[in-house]
Amino acid sequence: MPKVKVNDRTVEVPPGTSAMDAIFHAGYDVPLFCAERHLSPTGSCRMCLVKAGSPRKGPDGEWIKDESGEIKIFWFPKLMASCTLAVSEGMVIDTLSDEVRHAQSGMVELTLANHPLDCPTCDKGGACDLQDRAYEYGLEQKFYTGPTGEPVYTRYEFSKRHVDKHHPLSEFIILDRERCIHCKRCVRYFEEIPGDQVLDFIERAVHTFIGTADEGLPSNFSGNITDICPVGALLDRVARFRGRNWEFEQTPSVSTEDASGQYVWIDARSGRIERIRARENPELNDIWISDAARFGHEWVDQDRVTTPLVRKGGSLEPASWEEALAAMQKGLEGVPQERVGLLLPGDATIEEGMAAAELAKTLGSGYLDFEGRSAVPASNFPAATFADLLEADYILTIGDPTEELPLSHVWIYKRLRGVKTPPRLNHGTPIADLSIREHTPPDRSLLGAFAPYPTRVMEWAEAKGVFEPGQASALLGAIDALLAGRDAPRVAGVDAGALKQAAQRWRKAKKRVLLLGAEVLNDVEAAQLAEKLAKSQGALVLAMTPAANARGLEAMGVWPSGDKMPRALLAAADNPPQLLLDLAEFKVFHAARLSEVVRQHADVVLPAKTSYEKLGTLLNVENRLLELRPAHVEAGEAEGLIQVIYLFAQALGVKSSLRLVRQARARFTERYKINLDKLEEFGQVWRPRVSLSPRPRQGEGGNLYLRPSMWKSRHLLGETVQRALGTLTLAAHPQTALAEGLDVGATITLQTPWGTQAARLEFDDELPKGWFFLPALGSNPGARVPFKALVPEGGEAR
Amino acid sequence: MGFFDDKQDWLAEVFAQYPEDRRRSALMPLLRRVQQEEGYVSFERMKEIAEIVGTTATEVAGVMSFYSYYQGLPTGKYHIQVCRTLSCKLAGSDELWKTLVERLGILPGEVSEDGRFSLQAVECLGSCHTGPVIQINDEHYIERVTKERLQALLDGLSEDKPLEEVRRTLPGEEETGKHVIELVKGGES
Repeated sequence: MPKVKVNDRTVEVPPGTSAMDAIFHAGYDVPLFCAERHLSPTGSCRMCLVKAGSPRKGPDGEWIKDESGEIKIFWFPKLMASCTLAVSEGMVIDTLSDEVRHAQSGMVELTLANHPLDCPTCDKGGACDLQDRAYEYGLEQKFYTGPTGEPVYTRYEFSKRHVDKHHPLSEFIILDRERCIHCKRCVRYFEEIPGDQVLDFIERAVHTFIGTADEGLPSNFSGNITDICPVGALLDRVARFRGRNWEFEQTPSVSTEDASGQYVWIDARSGRIERIRARENPELNDIWISDAARFGHEWVDQDRVTTPLVRKGGSLEPASWEEALAAMQKGLEGVPQERVGLLLPGDATIEEGMAAAELAKTLGSGYLDFEGRSAVPASNFPAATFADLLEADYILTIGDPTEELPLSHVWIYKRLRGVKTPPRLNHGTPIADLSIREHTPPDRSLLGAFAPYPTRVMEWAEAKGVFEPGQASALLGAIDALLAGRDAPRVAGVDAGALKQAAQRWRKAKKRVLLLGAEVLNDVEAAQLAEKLAKSQGALVLAMTPAANARGLEAMGVWPSGDKMPRALLAAADNPPQLLLDLAEFKVFHAARLSEVVRQHADVVLPAKTSYEKLGTLLNVENRLLELRPAHVEAGEAEGLIQVIYLFAQALGVKSSLRLVRQARARFTERYKINLDKLEEFGQVWRPRVSLSPRPRQGEGGNLYLRPSMWKSRHLLGETVQRALGTLTLAAHPQTALAEGLDVGATITLQTPWGTQAARLEFDDELPKGWFFLPALGSNPGARVPFKALVPEGGEAR
Repeated sequence: MGFFDDKQDWLAEVFAQYPEDRRRSALMPLLRRVQQEEGYVSFERMKEIAEIVGTTATEVAGVMSFYSYYQGLPTGKYHIQVCRTLSCKLAGSDELWKTLVERLGILPGEVSEDGRFSLQAVECLGSCHTGPVIQINDEHYIERVTKERLQALLDGLSEDKPLEEVRRTLPGEEETGKHVIELVKGGES
């Protein structure tokens, strides 16, 4: 490994490391704006200038020496941008001399020449790279002096450039073109990470601005550009003008929007969540999070339940906890214990799952379920980690990774671009990784993608196909047959050649990863075929459940058994199945928000903490234990699910042994020898042994397909998300829609077993005929349900 | 109908020059073809090119706007490009520009009523010793433009005489129009 001398320290770094990373590795600092972890270095801001030189070897193969017999250093004729300079053996880098400092302060001055001085009203103020560097380099008397020797801030006397200051790029992102310093991080980000080049430099020289010719920012990962913008040019519109950086209480936690458990910072101020940012986890989400994880928090302070509510004479009235307990005791009187059901949310923690399972066992009740449960337990599949995707020789997706597990979209694209796991240096991930290149075309031969509708990842797949909803088992059966060397039966809509190609690539690959979506996980036959495919071939699986903690809850034994419907219910979920609500006589809701369902059905409502306010542990899609930490949110008398289960047990007249997260954790340590209080920094892989049998979902059948979506119904309560998503889209093949008398653009009210929903009809001739597709917005992705369409005016009802 | 629909052979020829997974490289020749035939690249064409080379309209717009050659708005039959960089400026390009604007009654981005002329100020055309210089479409430069020569040029073009003929018969073209720096041996002029 090359030895590099940085000022007075000598460090050894892997070959191909940039000079910038060698400097940080040695513990020195160098200013930078354009270099960013996980993005290709371009050297566009010229801020990281250093003096560098290397020794040379003579014709005799020996280092050339100077007159005094020392190895001679051949300095580069000019200062070099350290982010694009690769280290070489014996390189000497100087970052402290006056020559270097003068050049760097000159660059700060130049960058500031057109940058507005509106830091007092800029959201980035206090967390701004440019502000920090201006503070560091500005007014250095040595370099900046006026005619009489007094210090001056800048030598530029021109007026600043004035351009568009409030340019919305999308509903989520606003661009201030005056503040932009043209570092190109956001442009590179879109091209290299989610793989949509929707931003670019328009014009050139002083006229250059960031712009788009496409409509909005379509990616599910658009929010990340607000994190990586080194100045206040790109801002999060949900969090804009909501507080200064130093006023936020920053809590490191984990997002429960999907099963990946992305690391986030929750920034709260005066008891309110104002902003969510990505938190670095090099093994999980690098520095990227999905838009749902970032922008989907607005619902938290809307219609919040802050005290227990008890139904009195038809309406829910505020009550004390004692009154709520009394009401529960009264309501549960006469209900046999084995007919008491528990329904958990999909993001209930392991600790809460443990308490619920214990209570269900005490009661002898079989109805113990969680929202977003798949028909087949996710734990049945050998879990892959995201890092396994980078090693994979073939990736097969059956489903829609972009929507079901947004993070996997990023990892798949990383793999197709040939990105390698970066080394860990003293300062963490390399800031300027020279192995990453701009515009690397994806290697399509590594990916096969099949789904009931065209998905985003299909654009990168060599073998791809759209099959009819419900035909996942036929598809997997055909792959199974091909692998066994038999003739495959035809799968409607899927090209036989594509299937054959996928099977061939799969067979040849040494390391394989299989991504399974709701379409497979909710189809018992398909899931069993997939399990066989994975296990017989030693493939690893990412089972993309909508529930954030499906594996953790399954491991705790939260899974229904028996067929008796409960007569009394503790529901902690957003949208319990209608059938359940109709059959149960007495319903206690543990809810953070007074939704329509709660208002209509609850006999007692107990105020709940949201997942932003909880302490607990999740087991993510890779079987990685991650810790949720509570942010400081004002939520009245809200309590965690463990406390509520304890109270509910008390109302039933039984004793629960778990009343605190601490007790559940102690029990966990006892059982599994893992201390949940002291998990590793980036989460810890734990593979519990789980044996549960499949439980098909109720009420399938119908031609409305609930397409998985990253956005959930609760996100729509937020103003910004609602504006961004607008009316939902009901998509169908033109022939299918017209046969039903529905024309493009019509706004339709859909009546489904899961409620009523307005949607706008769009045609898409790539969709399978005979089906309608609606975003699921919740826990039932992949469900096929009947529906009735009502067209308000100008169209025919069917 | 798309611009390239009936040019499939030409497209195949262009793409044959680049590696198969680098179709984006053909962005410039495609843009140039549209610019030459239609006088500008409309948004529809940008989207069409993006589709053909496999990128986004944004990237096409980014590349296009970098070069002053490509026009985003319709141009006239004669697209007059006036150099406004230092040497030409010293030689009077500001006055030339003003004269042109007044005479034609148009500003950049507009086309004269008869559809003949459009105007653009450009950076250095690389003929600093014969400034002020203008270029019309992709043709030879008109050098050392004076009021008299400009008048003759516009008159000639208004009568739809061939551009090359008009250029050759400009007043004083014999003496001033063909100023050549003869290099003597050793590179000294």
